Amino acid sequence: MANEFESGTFERRAREVFDASVDGLDAATRSRLNQARQAATAELERSRRSPWLTWAPAGALAAAALVAVLLWRVPGSDAVPAQQAQATADPADAAEILAAGDDLDLATEDLEFYEFVAVATDEPDKGVG
Amino acid sequence: MTSSGTLDFTPNLRLADAVSRPREESDLQQSRALDRFLAGVERRAFRIAQMALRNPDDALDVVQGAMLSLARSYGQRPSEEWQPLFYRILYNGIRDAQRRRTVRSRIFALWPGSSRDDDEEAGDPYEHVADGSPEPSERLMAAEAMQKLETALGQLPARQQQAFTLRCLEGLDVAATAVAMGCSEGSVKTHYFRALQTLRSQLGEVW
Repeated sequence: MANEFESGTFERRAREVFDASVDGLDAATRSRLNQARQAATAELERSRRSPWLTWAPAGALAAAALVAVLLWRVPGSDAVPAQQAQATADPADAAEILAAGDDLDLATEDLEFYEFVAVATDEPDKGVG
Repeated sequence: MTSSGTLDFTPNLRLADAVSRPREESDLQQSRALDRFLAGVERRAFRIAQMALRNPDDALDVVQGAMLSLARSYGQRPSEEWQPLFYRILYNGIRDAQRRRTVRSRIFALWPGSSRDDDEEAGDPYEHVADGSPEPSERLMAAEAMQKLETALGQLPARQQQAFTLRCLEGLDVAATAVAMGCSEGSVKTHYFRALQTLRSQLGEVW
């Protein structure tokens, strides 16, 4: 039953028709397929000689990500002017500090001290000592 | 050490040469085997991709990608394993191309005045018939029959298309077809049987 099913007239006809369409491919397509095959064979040679090249794109991406993280995290690498840092760091940082839920009582207790430090920083001549 | 007091590496070089030469020959044979395999399947793979995608350029891209992937990822494997692996890669490529096309057509559908592109997407059913040059009547009849088969095949569900193409047109056995389709042999038999029934009912009379 299975053999009869597989070797039926319909299947044979389908194969013949398909084979004819394959044989009828134009020269330009054949040429491009030939080039693609040669590129694939060359790829096999290349991957055999330098298997690390297979992972080169992933490695390059990982290296770039590592450099980006280092530039972001290393202290002093963000050479932003002090005034610009003050201007840009306000709302997000404040929200983050509040969200962190740290004990802020310390700040309110020594408010006079912080005011003194601020004045001393702005006017060094009037500072301590 | 030689009599003149210099080190002689010649025996070691000979040994290394003797070790590496069989390997080089084996690599060369593997390359030739891959070339032969690809030469045997490239045109058929192209026609399969063309039937599924209805665009020769997309089909060529998919076949080229499948060839490169096979060489890169499975080129060192035994050549007996290549056929189902190649068709599996090919069908994955076809599916990806179809998805990209769907996304692209959705984006262009939102674009004003893009209806012309959609019309082109549908395509002339006789556009990709093999050659424009005059052909003998037998080839013309075969081309027409192929066109009918292609149209009927295109109306089947994707898995039935794959089962019919691989089993009937490519001649893969059930086990290899199951590997290529990534499913069980029982599923292959079911898909193939249903595809054959539908195609017979549609084409049996005209064929």
